[in-house]
Amino acid sequence: MFSNLEMAYVFIYVCLGLIAAGIILLFQMKIKHNAEQRDMERFTKKHHDYFMYVQSHLHDDVTLELPPGKLTSAERRVIQAKCMEWIEQFKGDAREKLLQLCRDAGFVEEDIRALSSLRKDRRIEAVYRLGGMRAEEAVPQLQELMNRTKYGPMTIIIARAIAKSALQSQQIREMLAKLLSYDKAIHHMAADILLETRLDSASLMRKLLDDPDPGLVKISLVAMWGQAIPAFVPTLDRLVGSEEKDVRAEAVKLYLSSNPSLKDDTIAQLMNDHEWEVRAAAAKALGSLHAAGSIPLLASALKDENWHVRNNSAESLAMLGEQGFETLCQAALTGEGPARETALYRIEQIMSKEGEHEQVEQMVAFNKRKLVYDRYFGLQTSKRIGTVAGVGGDYTA
Amino acid sequence: MVTIYYVMIVSVLYFVIMLFSFRNIKDIFRRAKYSTYNTLSGSELVPSVSLLVPAFNEELTIAENVRCLMTLNYPTYEVIVINDGSSDETLKVLIEEYGLTLLPNPQIRGKISTNKVRGIYYNPQYPQLYVIDKENGGKADSLNAGINLSRYPLISSIDADSLLEKDALIRMARMYMENPEETVAIGGDVRIANGCVIENGEVKDVSLPRRMWPMFQSIEYMKAFLGGRIGWSHLNGLIIVSGAFGLFRKDYVIAVGGYRGGYPGEDMNIIIKLHRYMLENKIKYRVAFCPEAVCWTQAPDSYNILSNQRKRWGRGNLKNMIENRDMVFNPKYKIMGLLTMPYNVIFEALNPYFRITGLLALLGYVLLDMTNWKVLVVFGLVNFLSGYMLSVGALILEEIAFRRYTKLSDQVKMLLFSALKFVGYHQLGVLWRVQGHIQYLQNNNSWGTMTRQSWKDKKEAA
Repeated sequence: MFSNLEMAYVFIYVCLGLIAAGIILLFQMKIKHNAEQRDMERFTKKHHDYFMYVQSHLHDDVTLELPPGKLTSAERRVIQAKCMEWIEQFKGDAREKLLQLCRDAGFVEEDIRALSSLRKDRRIEAVYRLGGMRAEEAVPQLQELMNRTKYGPMTIIIARAIAKSALQSQQIREMLAKLLSYDKAIHHMAADILLETRLDSASLMRKLLDDPDPGLVKISLVAMWGQAIPAFVPTLDRLVGSEEKDVRAEAVKLYLSSNPSLKDDTIAQLMNDHEWEVRAAAAKALGSLHAAGSIPLLASALKDENWHVRNNSAESLAMLGEQGFETLCQAALTGEGPARETALYRIEQIMSKEGEHEQVEQMVAFNKRKLVYDRYFGLQTSKRIGTVAGVGGDYTA
Repeated sequence: MVTIYYVMIVSVLYFVIMLFSFRNIKDIFRRAKYSTYNTLSGSELVPSVSLLVPAFNEELTIAENVRCLMTLNYPTYEVIVINDGSSDETLKVLIEEYGLTLLPNPQIRGKISTNKVRGIYYNPQYPQLYVIDKENGGKADSLNAGINLSRYPLISSIDADSLLEKDALIRMARMYMENPEETVAIGGDVRIANGCVIENGEVKDVSLPRRMWPMFQSIEYMKAFLGGRIGWSHLNGLIIVSGAFGLFRKDYVIAVGGYRGGYPGEDMNIIIKLHRYMLENKIKYRVAFCPEAVCWTQAPDSYNILSNQRKRWGRGNLKNMIENRDMVFNPKYKIMGLLTMPYNVIFEALNPYFRITGLLALLGYVLLDMTNWKVLVVFGLVNFLSGYMLSVGALILEEIAFRRYTKLSDQVKMLLFSALKFVGYHQLGVLWRVQGHIQYLQNNNSWGTMTRQSWKDKKEAA
């Protein structure tokens, strides 16, 4: 019993020691953090006039300088933080002036030195600032640091700093390839990072679209956000036939968003693709292409197993005049299961817009549809069609 | 002496988990400080999310909470409020506030079985808001109804009495985007809003609660979330993502059959099911915790409401442990089977019994021979100091990474309540858990009373 109690005493003493150390540390940190916060506020106030001076000369032909006199390290941090905030906001000459100010003030040099610091905190802080200051001279060291860093949130911070700073497309390519090498399917995150670049995005995208690495092709397709630039259409046309399913799906979405003229067999091929994303993109595009010949394909796609394909098909049918609307009504009246529900939902949406049309053409189009509707469902537009849908069951949405 | 050793072992285990939290806290701080959200929050590249908000008798807070959710810094999302057969005016408040009308032919895509959906309300002027009105079936049933209607690949469950910080969702999405294929769920940090200044559905000024019960809970949450969950998530052994705020991959939630209805503890249950599914199917995965994504919640501020909540938690925990007993010490389930589940059974579910029997045995022992009073004191001290040490650890973690409470007096108050917690509150916690277990054995599955205050009243009362 005695030895057991002794063990408990030791435990108690250890706890007491740790508690005392913890409380001291806690108060020390709190006092330090509060003092830092107060300093920041004080220096922001102190340099208010200087900030006004910088702002008012951003578009003048003068070289910006630091305030006169010796600045403390905290003051330098406050000025640097303000410059970085403005660099994000401004473009063109104003931004260049601020970048030059950061260089002349030695901020860039300081942070490049900090990249070799033994303290991880200091290194990551420097990475963030160098990205903020678009320090192209730091890119080789940033790349080296990225190569040494295990994959995690810090990798993303370094990658972003490289994307902001790099002036050579090869550096961006290497950074993206490194991100892909972790095999984490982070194409969307990588695309977001890519969009931080200062380089001419059109030529960078073109290079990436032609890259032999399908991962890089996918990143550039994702980064285009569904807005194809006409110059890319031939490349997209080629990628539509890619064997990489992700690349093909993204390429089709982009390609179709450029309103291309499609052959009937291409349409049929896309609408029968085994990737739902391709079928959904094709179904969506057919409405705005006003390809009335595609109505049978869209009608059949109302029965697709994927909700997005069904929904986009119904949306496109609704855009294809009376004939498209009539196909929807037929599906709502004679179809079954999800096809019927999708059609019903779309019809309800259209019919609920009665009286909302101000343009004569819109009114005429609506009235034509109303006639079709009345033919199928009788003259009771204010009533619900059938019973509440909602027995369908797929989770493809 | 067995009891003293038990307490010491629990403390050492807690301590080890907390060490993992300390190991990660600097990275969390850097991630929160140096990750930029301005490009992400306006980007089409961020995955779309369906926010599911189950509401039962929330007429006082629902309008403000929905307003908060409608103004998040997030590119594409929908808010689905599920009125779970409220007996108050929750539905009416929403209909009037947002001019909603009944959708004649709503598209319900899912088929998880739920209680009858009476209707779905919508207003094209608020295209991202849907309100489902259904018959009462509990929180899990409501979440399942929300999943059935949802359009997007990610779902986020949010309590109707909680307020999300504007960047909370985008912070979670950033974490998801870092590893989208392996991430099945991400939990957010839940903090106590009592005492804070709330304006337009947003926490404007952070303060500690002025009342005793919420204050104790504030300390408790900090310890559990920062001290515990950061460490557990590092081991990929997180057993719970708080029902108040979590993000999930919808396809996997559906693959495990959605939320389990009919019993509390659905938030723990879904995570156990996800672990089980991923491990049984040998799919690489992670259940992550994102402490920088913060959700502020109204804590119960009266004895009755708090005791009901804790009994419910006790019941839910026991049910989950019994239902998944095959996972305990089963190497097939890796960290879950060998560490998380045994830990939860021995040191959480059975904790009250070890402590109570130990204390009674010690009391008996001392009564037989009064010269051994020292043993009793040692037991008390071991209990108190080990718990207090972990609370101090949680406060240090908070100070390193978040610094939400800026005043020195807040620090003193938190340290004081961390100590006071062991005089009464801690013992009540043990009692409530035992009562929860008794309710489980009696098949008593009532929710208990739960009253809400509007955020405005809350500000005055806290």
